[in-house]
Amino acid sequence: MDPTQFDRHKLDEIIEDYRDRKWALIPLLQEVQEEFGFVPPEAIVPIAEALNMFASQVQGVITFYSGFSLKPKGRCVLRVCRGTACHVKGSRSILRLVKKELDLEEGQTSNDYQFTLETVACLGACFLAPTMMVNKDYYGRLNPTKVVSVLGEHRKDKEDD
Amino acid sequence: MESIALTINGKKVSCRMGDTLLSVAEKNSIFIPTLCHHPALKAYGACRMCLVEDENTGRLMASCVTPAAKDMAILTETERIITHRKNIVRLMLAEHPESCIVCSKGNRCELRGIAARLGVAENRLYPMPNYKPYEELNPFIVRDLSKCILCGKCIRADHELVATGAIDYNERGFASRPATLMENPLEESTCTFCGTCVSMCPTGALSSKHAGFVGTPEMQKDSICGFCGAGCSLAIGIAGSRVMEVNPSRVKGSVNSATLCVRGHFAHDFLNSPNRLKQPLIRMPDEDSRLVLQPVPWDQALSKTAEILADIKRSHGPGSIAFVGSPKCSIEENYLFQKIARVVFETNNITSTGSINGQPILRFMENKTMGAARISPFFELEKAEAIVVINADPDHSVPVAAYHVKRATRTGTPLVTIDSRKTGLAPFAAARIRPEPESDPDFRIPLLIASLAAKIADLNGHDSGYISQFTTGWDLIKTETSSMLEANPLSSGEEKEISRAAEMLSGRKIALVLGSDVMESRHGTAIADASFNLVLATGSLGAPNAGIFIPTPESNTAGAMDMGVLPDMLPGRKQLSDSAARNKLESLWKTKLSPDSGLDLPGIIEAAESGHLKALYIMGENLIRALPESSRVEEALKKLDFIVVQDIFDNRTTRLAHVVFPGSAFAEKNGSFTNMEGRIQSFIPAADPPGQARADWHILGMLAQKMGYPEQYATIEKIRQEIRRTVPMYATLGSQRQEWIKNSEDTTPLSVKNGDKFEFASIKQGQPAEISQGKSFTAMLGSLRWHPAGGTRTSRSPRMAAWDRDSQVRLCPADINALDLTGKEAIRISSNHGSIERSFVADPGIFPGRVFVPLGVCGNDAACLAGIDSLKQTAPAWRTCGVDIEKI
Ligand code: SF4
Ligand code: SF4
Ligand code: SF4
Ligand code: FES
Ligand code: FES
Repeated sequence: MDPTQFDRHKLDEIIEDYRDRKWALIPLLQEVQEEFGFVPPEAIVPIAEALNMFASQVQGVITFYSGFSLKPKGRCVLRVCRGTACHVKGSRSILRLVKKELDLEEGQTSNDYQFTLETVACLGACFLAPTMMVNKDYYGRLNPTKVVSVLGEHRKDKEDD
Repeated sequence: MESIALTINGKKVSCRMGDTLLSVAEKNSIFIPTLCHHPALKAYGACRMCLVEDENTGRLMASCVTPAAKDMAILTETERIITHRKNIVRLMLAEHPESCIVCSKGNRCELRGIAARLGVAENRLYPMPNYKPYEELNPFIVRDLSKCILCGKCIRADHELVATGAIDYNERGFASRPATLMENPLEESTCTFCGTCVSMCPTGALSSKHAGFVGTPEMQKDSICGFCGAGCSLAIGIAGSRVMEVNPSRVKGSVNSATLCVRGHFAHDFLNSPNRLKQPLIRMPDEDSRLVLQPVPWDQALSKTAEILADIKRSHGPGSIAFVGSPKCSIEENYLFQKIARVVFETNNITSTGSINGQPILRFMENKTMGAARISPFFELEKAEAIVVINADPDHSVPVAAYHVKRATRTGTPLVTIDSRKTGLAPFAAARIRPEPESDPDFRIPLLIASLAAKIADLNGHDSGYISQFTTGWDLIKTETSSMLEANPLSSGEEKEISRAAEMLSGRKIALVLGSDVMESRHGTAIADASFNLVLATGSLGAPNAGIFIPTPESNTAGAMDMGVLPDMLPGRKQLSDSAARNKLESLWKTKLSPDSGLDLPGIIEAAESGHLKALYIMGENLIRALPESSRVEEALKKLDFIVVQDIFDNRTTRLAHVVFPGSAFAEKNGSFTNMEGRIQSFIPAADPPGQARADWHILGMLAQKMGYPEQYATIEKIRQEIRRTVPMYATLGSQRQEWIKNSEDTTPLSVKNGDKFEFASIKQGQPAEISQGKSFTAMLGSLRWHPAGGTRTSRSPRMAAWDRDSQVRLCPADINALDLTGKEAIRISSNHGSIERSFVADPGIFPGRVFVPLGVCGNDAACLAGIDSLKQTAPAWRTCGVDIEKI
């Protein structure tokens, strides 16, 4: 399935729920992101119309928050921490290894939409440094072996599908 | 309000609660540098350039967002502050590209100015120039965001002032910048090229596009925009004697504040058109004895003209000469023009294109309101309780009027639109009442307005006190509306939207914005009647921030009418048939005035065709381009013995003339205009007219003298003096740069003279006219923002001419299918009068069976679709006509 395709009907339904409501933009975007895994660019104009906003404003909010994405993301979103504590504990090499393993640069998504690689400024788990997240799970005290095994685990997931 | 005392740099100052430190400093002439602050925008606090220090606490604060508080001891120039300011500028410069030196913003760049003032030269930081310039194809704006300092002024101007929303910040952190949706070029965004953001940008990130390098203006002069009825205040940048650029002027209380529209901002390059007339011309035999226009000295041109006109008057009588003035010319010029016609030539054959463009509705309302409601300041819209817009698309016709409406809606004012088209205001409307599709676009509109008024009354939301005190005929209207509804019931869609709108309007005073061209389409009178009734029923006429607002199309539509440039109207909005008014003028002018109405525009064309008219004097109008059925007009003009044209361009009409006088454009002369609000604005020349061209009033003054008229009009003041004496509405003309026309006998809607009452108008609902006349489509002729009216000036602006995107006609997608059109091909649109060829675009906002045809483009050829005969009614319904469409 092409992940850039999405159910227009469903989108309209979500938008309709929030029409003319005050302060609705963020919750609406969250619901859209949750439903489709990204905010389809085609959704910007109808969302703006429904909330009486300018389309450029809606776009600005989407691109301001890293929680929203205009591009579809992979099944597994990896967030490697590049915060201070993790940096001290060697997160630079962790990131380098992940990049090599997945053959992805920061911000990229693999062609098969299995992996997206991101970095963050601090995952708030410094005591486990160096850290990373895969979707909603934390992985701490990383070392090369552990990284490879975590990645392998998620690759395996895929094969199980 | 509570007063606060504090000190700034040791000086005791006081201010009011809520004033910002910056505004207090400014009021006390203490300079604080700013980059992101602008008085027309909400405080923002992004750049931190305006830092000040409170001596008591040692706190540093951004003065533009910090309210003054009691006993503060503010310092504006301490070492600490200077260090911070320098660091901020250094950081900004570190991101700045080296193209700074050749930046077209030049010495007007505020960033450079501040850097120089602070003595920041080398920034000694690692340079990190950001972003790339955009490659853009539009002829108006260049964006080089490598020079952007993220002050947010452009975005705030775009959102807060013009409410377009074309741009906003995109991305965050270092990558953040003002961007359009999908980072498209501006021409593929919703940008209207109003240029408001360009004027605000403190750096070279946004600038006007020029054909070549133009340098920076040497000085600035204030003027008034001559492109539409808003009459925006301009600051014109001059180099040598050429106009280099135009920005909104900083005068307080102007109609436009810090905004302009694309015409005001960019179209001034028409002034430098190679087609400008520079010398007087007379048609004379050349070496081969062909009659051609040849340059002559002024004196010769004037003497010859006076001689021939006097001859024609003597041998054929005063009725053989006619005069066509212009709503683009000034008050003074139009006054003098009609005076020459009426006094020197003793004829009422005087009119202008204003008589078929905007003036009909002004006259209608003058009549209905008994001259007691002539003034309508548009800023009141922003304080209105509710706004209703009927058959108007100010987004295109008078953009600054649209800004007022949009800004009002953004603070929660309900907006109701009643229109068959989807206008630029549609996205801002809380309720949109659209008629069910009929072959005749406007047939149902009066019905919709009347039932809206009735529905409001059903909710008891009308103003019964006002109705009984100031009006008559309400009961009649109620019965009339019911019988109208019986004959033509509302559809359920119409019913639903009208109910919604009535809820919003119930119990409120309304500000009604009425299209200036309503009277020029079919059912115009009924629409105007119904609109007037709605205003009365809600008690809105005379209430504060309510009443009737008409965005007039030309810079002096109202002024030309007020000066009596009409065959049946005298200066001061007096009917020619009013003998008291005539007598008064007769004694002032020491002449006899005929009580018989002169020729109107169709009358002039017919009289030329029949040979009764011998001579025509045209000032400031390309008549062949501006009137319907241009080929018929052209043939008619060819029959005349003598044509004098006073214009700024060589054009189709001057080419038929026997004498051509080179006149001046608005920025090149002094004069005054009356805008859509009834505001009279005087202006002085900003640039010199080209060659030997002269101000039009000056030309008229010289001609009057040649004709042996005893009064001398050597200065504009002389003409103003006479207007002040003759026209009570303009009793103080020229005393100030801005003033207001006077209501009739100084009455207001709530104190009409003799206790007269306003009369509810009986709506004469016609039949859905067979405008189609056997044709399959109804054409609606209208203007888009690039080329108002006939587009005579804007089409000579290289920038506007380069913007060719909007010449296509608009059809609804269903009709495009039905006509079996695929997309790119041209179509032929033909009426009983003429035909044009155009490309088309699909517009879902258009009803089936309709085609919207923009005027003012392609030589204004679309005017040929309408007939001269359609002008021969009180409401000249030339903007709708039946047409056939075929593929070619
Ligand atoms: S483009 Fe100009 S006005 Fe807009 S944010 Fe940048 S510097 Fe400010
Ligand atoms: S030119 Fe006008 S409409 Fe376009 S971005 Fe600037 S402010 Fe907005
Ligand atoms: S709104 Fe009218 S007066 Fe103002 S800048 Fe535009 S054309 Fe000129
Ligand atoms: S720095 Fe990595 S979790 Fe805080
Ligand atoms: S001017 Fe005050 S923060 Fe920019």
